[in-house]
Amino acid sequence: MLVRGEVFARELEEEMRLHKDLKEQELVADGVDASEARYAANRQFGNAMNLRERGSQAWGWEWIEHFMQDVNYGVRGMLRSPGTTLVALLSLALGIGANTAIFSLTDAVMLKSLPVKDPAGLVLFGSGLDQGISDGFPNPELYSYPFYREMQKRNQVFSDVAASFSMIDHVHGFIEGRSDAEAMNIQLVSGTYFPMLGVQAEAGRMLSEEDDRKKGERAVAVVSYAWWTHSLARDPSVLNKKLTIGPTVFSIVGVAPPEFFGTKVGEAPDIWIPLAMQKEIPPGWDGYQDSMFESLHLMARLKPGVTMTEANADSNLLFQEILHGLPGVPLNQENLQELDKTRVELNSMATGFSRLRYEFSEPLKILMGVVGLVLLIACANIANLLLARSTARARELAVRQALGAGRSRLIRQLLTESLVLALAGGALGVAFAAWASHLLSRMVLDGRDALQLNVGVDMRLLLFTLGVSVATALLFGTIPAFRATTQTLANSLKEGRGQSNAPAKGRLATALVVSQVALSLVLLVVAGLFVRSLVNLTKVDTGFNRENVIRLGIDASSAGYKEDTRLADLYRRIEERINALPGVQVSSFSIFVFNEGTWNNSIWVQGYLSGHRDVTVFHNAVGSDYFAAMGIPLLAGRTFGPQDTATSPKVGVIGETMARTLFPRGSPIGQRYGHGAPEHSSDIEVIGVVKDVKYWSLDENPKAGDYLPYAQNVRYLKDFEVRYVGDTGAMISAIQQTIHEVDRTLPISDVMTLDEQVARSVTNQRLLAQLSTFFGLLAIFLSCVGIYGLMSYVVTRRTNEIGIHMALGADRGKVVRMVVSGAMLQIAVGLLIGIPVALAGGRALAHQLFGVKSYDPAVLSAAAGLLVISALVAGLVPAMRAASIDPMKALRTE
Amino acid sequence: MNREELLPGTLHLLILKTLARNQQMHGYEIARSIQQFSQDVLQVEEGSLYPALQRMLIKGWVKAEWGVTAENRRARYYRLTAAGRKQLEVEKAQFDRVIQAIARVIQTA
Repeated sequence: MLVRGEVFARELEEEMRLHKDLKEQELVADGVDASEARYAANRQFGNAMNLRERGSQAWGWEWIEHFMQDVNYGVRGMLRSPGTTLVALLSLALGIGANTAIFSLTDAVMLKSLPVKDPAGLVLFGSGLDQGISDGFPNPELYSYPFYREMQKRNQVFSDVAASFSMIDHVHGFIEGRSDAEAMNIQLVSGTYFPMLGVQAEAGRMLSEEDDRKKGERAVAVVSYAWWTHSLARDPSVLNKKLTIGPTVFSIVGVAPPEFFGTKVGEAPDIWIPLAMQKEIPPGWDGYQDSMFESLHLMARLKPGVTMTEANADSNLLFQEILHGLPGVPLNQENLQELDKTRVELNSMATGFSRLRYEFSEPLKILMGVVGLVLLIACANIANLLLARSTARARELAVRQALGAGRSRLIRQLLTESLVLALAGGALGVAFAAWASHLLSRMVLDGRDALQLNVGVDMRLLLFTLGVSVATALLFGTIPAFRATTQTLANSLKEGRGQSNAPAKGRLATALVVSQVALSLVLLVVAGLFVRSLVNLTKVDTGFNRENVIRLGIDASSAGYKEDTRLADLYRRIEERINALPGVQVSSFSIFVFNEGTWNNSIWVQGYLSGHRDVTVFHNAVGSDYFAAMGIPLLAGRTFGPQDTATSPKVGVIGETMARTLFPRGSPIGQRYGHGAPEHSSDIEVIGVVKDVKYWSLDENPKAGDYLPYAQNVRYLKDFEVRYVGDTGAMISAIQQTIHEVDRTLPISDVMTLDEQVARSVTNQRLLAQLSTFFGLLAIFLSCVGIYGLMSYVVTRRTNEIGIHMALGADRGKVVRMVVSGAMLQIAVGLLIGIPVALAGGRALAHQLFGVKSYDPAVLSAAAGLLVISALVAGLVPAMRAASIDPMKALRTE
Repeated sequence: MNREELLPGTLHLLILKTLARNQQMHGYEIARSIQQFSQDVLQVEEGSLYPALQRMLIKGWVKAEWGVTAENRRARYYRLTAAGRKQLEVEKAQFDRVIQAIARVIQTA
């Protein structure tokens, strides 16, 4: 636009020059003297400059030219004081960037609607938090396939009902034409899943009801756009490709659209396969026709006009009716009583459902609060910097006003300058946010590579950020702008540099610094509490020794093994071979180690008539050396040995809590119990008691658990643990090599140390501790910049006064004390305000804390101490400068 | 030379009429033409002429094009648009009404 303005001015000038010349020629032709003629021509034309302005105004370009001038001026001003500008930009970039990053993560985890047709009409049966396979009755969270079909057939309120398997199957399969098995995450879904969601295929077709009619009939698969991209490099012949999973060959019939990640936030499957094919997918679940195989998440779309209340009523009615009549459901007295008490709860599925959301929504809300405070502190800094700048420029502005600059024009200029600063900061912030949100989602997912979040800085976020930065500029640019232009001209001109309106400036700046100190204290206390919680958590006794253990996943089911003696043989051979490796102490297979999942069903103890419905026992199937490999101490009896074989009497080792709750009388050794049904109550003999271990999380209460030898319970054991000494890296490759010597086709995954696995379970606590510490330190830094700025300003303003003090004999120490005590006063006031706020904040966070009280005095005093020391340093620098003032020079300073 | 002030609001009318009479003219020709037709009574101030031309450009009554004069100098030539022609009628009608009104006031003794 400026270019256009210049062209316009040049053209007009040329036009007018022609006019003048022609007029001059005419006058000369009329016989007027040449110089006289030029004079006359010029005089008649009037003020050329003025004319040009009027022409330009006619086009309405004036404001653009002014704006560009202001921007130009603002940028030059920013470059004149690079230090100040850098701090201001950094404050803004970090403040805005952190907010945007946390917000985009929050958006991805909590707020974003599912990328499907009309997501608002979708409902989920239950909370979607449970996953696994249950035989508990009744279960309002997980449903069987026959139940799904009944619900679909009989309901009056849904346009359709769909189901998805509650777990993703992590398998290893072959892409046609390749010889190595590749990891694939498979989501089993009902045929109605895609039609109900209204998801259209990117290529080919999605799954339909036809694919889910008959058990094992149609081996078809739909792949995700992301999988098509990274595994097949968007091969256009994807629809002709086959996948071999287990012994079955699947045809790829379609590619899902790029935005569709599934219905579960944080879990993006690679491949969707009809539920009818579940037995063909390792580990080969067979629940398609089993009413007591409760493994599905049930979802539905409301018919138009049906309210949630109506849908709830109809679903609950049907829940009772269906379960009363479903073949294969054990309707004994106890189950009927339970069914009578059970209600289904429908939840909106507009934003999908997620365990991730359940875990992270609270931490994310806390972090949103934390970064909000950081932004406030950053804004206070900007405000202070703008204030200081406009005060320093009071004389310049006065001169310009005296020269005829309009007041509105000056205010506009100051605002434009703040706007330039804010937009530059905002742009930096966006760049920082893009990087930070990537980092953040990596922190949240913490190595769970299969699960992905769709985190992106989108248009809404960009506007949000821009809004925040522009609001900051306008808010904190307006005050100094108005103030700078309202002062009496004569006073400003008389007063000299940096002196005008000083007390008012000082008051506002002091208030800003005080609030910065208070906010910083709050952030530091929060950070301190989270760090202490994390430390306490990592000190928790897990019951096993997490040092010096490597654990890895072995997927025997994908390699074609069945759950029979050949499988047990394989495990024993691997254990023997690994145990023989130099540096290996002992190794063992198991279903779980820690934070992986649980296996539980009802428990029956010999001599008791009813089951222990109120006691949940976590089972594990393990090798003989599991307790040695994990370092779980034996408290009584013995652990498994070579005498416990497939044919010998069934035995179990139990944890101390199970011993205490289920066998309260006498020693549990030699007593009997069983799983699943009363007729099993004498199946297992207790041969040993071991120390309790943690199953899911470090902060859980002691749980009842038992262990069965895999020799007597042949099933897929995904985990393999090796206790070793020496170099971890070398050991890992030796172990992998040895396993492949036993069977080259065994897929190995999730290789890590036990310590890493434990650390992974506290991801959200670590996220909170790390980020709140980072932001707490950032807050201190920003506050120190604020204090430094204010004290520098005070020193500059009082140079004269300090000079007089020193001329009258005050020593340098006294001057330093004088300045520093000023700073300390603000800090003291800031702390006084901050402490009660921090205490209140701590109380609000209480349920996120572990082993630390919200009013922890150590945390509080450490935070206050750190703040005082840093503030002292920030105040000391200008104080030293004040002390080094030469009295004579100071007195002459005007 | 004694020249009369232009009646307020008539400059657009004069420019439009002048341009209607000729294919295209540059600024100086417009000023000269008005002066000649009025037999040197009406003198268009250059300070008014060019801003007026700019305003008329914005309103779309005229359009401008760079060309070359007989003496081979670059000049901006203005020509009337269809909208300008319509505007000329409007302004002429308005002018007539005002003049008749003034005449009635003056003649009624």
